Amino acid sequence: MKNVLILLRKDVLRFVADKPALLLTFILPPVLILIFGLIFGGSGEPQSKIKIIFVNESKSPLALTLEEKLDSSDVLKPVKEFTPEESKVPQRFDEETAVRFVKEGKYSTAIVLPEDFYTDTSSALRIKIFYDPKNAIESSLIQGAIQKTIFTQMSSLFPALMTKRAKKTLKGSKSVSFENEMAEIIGKYFNVSKDTIVKYFSEENIVKNPSGENFIGNIINIESKQVVGESVNNPGVTRMAGGWASMFLLFSIVGASLTLFEEKQEGSLKRLLCMPVTRSQILWSKYVFSTTLGIVQLLTMFVFTWLFFGVDIFTNFGNLFIVIVVSSMAAVSFGMLITSTVKSIQQANGIATIIILIMSAIGGAWFPVSFLPGWMQTVAKFTITYWSVDAFLQVLWRNVAFSGIALHVLILASVGVVVTFYSVIRFRKGNIF
Amino acid sequence: MIEISEVVKNFENVRALQGVSLQIEDGSFFGLLGPNGAGKTTLLNVIIGLLKPDAGHVAIDGEVLVYNDVNVKRKFGYVPQEIALYQELTALTNLKIFGRLYGVTGKKLNERIDWALEIVGLSERKNDVVKNFSGGMKRRLNIACSILHNPEIILCDEPTVGVDPQSRNAIFEMLKKLNREEGKLIIYTTHYMEEAERLCDKMAIIDYGKIIAEGTLEDLTALLEKKETVKILKNDLTVSKLEELKLMGMVNETEFYIELIPKEDFKKNVRLFEKFEELGIPDDNVEISRASLEDVFLFLTGRNLRD
Ligand SMILES: Nc1ncnc2c1ncn2[C@@H]1O[C@H](COP(=O)(O)OP(=O)(O)O)[C@@H](O)[C@H]1O
Ligand SMILES: [Mg+2]
Repeated sequence: MKNVLILLRKDVLRFVADKPALLLTFILPPVLILIFGLIFGGSGEPQSKIKIIFVNESKSPLALTLEEKLDSSDVLKPVKEFTPEESKVPQRFDEETAVRFVKEGKYSTAIVLPEDFYTDTSSALRIKIFYDPKNAIESSLIQGAIQKTIFTQMSSLFPALMTKRAKKTLKGSKSVSFENEMAEIIGKYFNVSKDTIVKYFSEENIVKNPSGENFIGNIINIESKQVVGESVNNPGVTRMAGGWASMFLLFSIVGASLTLFEEKQEGSLKRLLCMPVTRSQILWSKYVFSTTLGIVQLLTMFVFTWLFFGVDIFTNFGNLFIVIVVSSMAAVSFGMLITSTVKSIQQANGIATIIILIMSAIGGAWFPVSFLPGWMQTVAKFTITYWSVDAFLQVLWRNVAFSGIALHVLILASVGVVVTFYSVIRFRKGNIF
Repeated sequence: MIEISEVVKNFENVRALQGVSLQIEDGSFFGLLGPNGAGKTTLLNVIIGLLKPDAGHVAIDGEVLVYNDVNVKRKFGYVPQEIALYQELTALTNLKIFGRLYGVTGKKLNERIDWALEIVGLSERKNDVVKNFSGGMKRRLNIACSILHNPEIILCDEPTVGVDPQSRNAIFEMLKKLNREEGKLIIYTTHYMEEAERLCDKMAIIDYGKIIAEGTLEDLTALLEKKETVKILKNDLTVSKLEELKLMGMVNETEFYIELIPKEDFKKNVRLFEKFEELGIPDDNVEISRASLEDVFLFLTGRNLRD
């Protein structure tokens, strides 16, 4: 026990004297988290809007209404002008310039409401969208936002469009009676006067009252309510923090375990073995050192996300700490396994890097596991990253009680113990000692 | 006294020790001489219990040593062939860590550290980071870290490799001091014959895992008595003459000379020079030199030590 403490102290002193290791463990991860955090969630403020080109060539009052609605969208920021190099005078986009700008990669999407967007004779809205699918997520975000705007804000248009189509196909008096009879039936069943209903069928009313604050206009009413993490300060960073932390943890822990290899190479391990020090004491000191380093590193990273992004780590701190400890144990067992298996440092670093990157990719450290094909989601469950990342998510995002992470903790702790045990057996046979 | 009896150690495809037996008296400065790969380090590892011999055993004062036992390890000060130090830490920190692991603590530890630093002449530099030391200073600290617990037996594995002549002398002096003044038993491995000649009172020559000669310097050179090395200028030696020379004894070719250790028949210089005359080698091209350990090795193995 005394020897373990002496060796532990030695590891700490060496670690502190090793500037690159300090940098990689405590400085680099926060810097990268800062960058990722700014991309995925900002500093807790609303996400910046996606800029798109918007061209309105239609004279219809309906087009203007749609334009206003898009202007006030919380996802999109319609841009209507550009400043040509030569003239320095701002100029409005037209369809041609809009298409050119998208082709040149300056914008990813252009929405054009053409002259015949909605005319006296049209029985449908005509909208042109030009896009460059260079960013699939952005593309679907934009399309979704446009559709949502049209469906929810312009729903009162549907009755008008329906009667218009009736006029077109039925012609003359037939269409008038269709309109009257429809209005009468609706009025009768819903106890509204026929004249009010007829009014809903006309476009002027739609322009006056586009969001459909009337009887028929409300037929589409999308009501969305966030039920998980609604009180979470910084959703983007809170969801991803555990993933980033898990990856950095693995890298630095493998590094810490591999110091055993370095000590063999430099010969200091041989000296220890020629002293009254047992192999178990040497392994124990490495184990305790690496696990503690992992815990301290994870704590540092979470405190950092709290300081910079306001991620709430204190409400559920007890459970967070438990997950930190078992994640660290599992990571150390992985480092020990690598160290006890490979033949050289270079080999170890190569293999470890590949495995860590794969585990991070499919285990959910980079993006949610649900993005993966089904069979891969099953594979993901065989990585320690998956259980760590998911446990952090449960604790920080869902704010669960211990029962919610009990399985995760059990799996991570068991992997930690079993794999460490197996590595120790390998150490005894292997070429380190 | 250390007794090594019939120690055999095989690695996968190397027979590193093939039945090594040695007796080393208390207080002696024992040299273990041999080329790289001869089995010197392996033998030290077996002595300290780091390697389990496939056969044979090692005993101190009649007590057979147990493999991998901390109490056995405590008896020895082992100076590894590698510079086994934590180079990013200071000399003092290294000494403290290793001293504590040897079970020396408190005031005693400070005393021992001062003593060791004094002996290796690094008192002034104790607070410097080891990384910045010269090769010789690192070697000296490497020794200091192994003697903090005041062991009776010190095992030095090629402690002068890569060291400048000045540091080398310093190391020799300190080891002699430990041997003469403190009465430590020192086992010193090297592949430099001069070192063994200069330092050791007893020595053994090891080659391919076998002890091929053993004794004092006199004992060993006596093997060569009257079998001087003969150097013959290569000048106009033909291949057929060289073949003839090979029949006369052990032959070793260098750039300008043929070195010859004559066989029994040619012990007498008269016979030797008769033969040279026969071969048409002029007397001026021949030089007879005093025997050294180098020659002993050549005589015993037919190889140069540093080949
Ligand atoms: N751990 C090992 N595994 C395999 N072969 C080894 C090992 N250690 C030493 N050897 C081999 O045993 C022989 C003796 O090595 P060693 O004792 O280190 O020689 P020396 O110290 O005299 O240079 C060499 O051929 C070496 O390659
Ligand atoms: Mg050696």
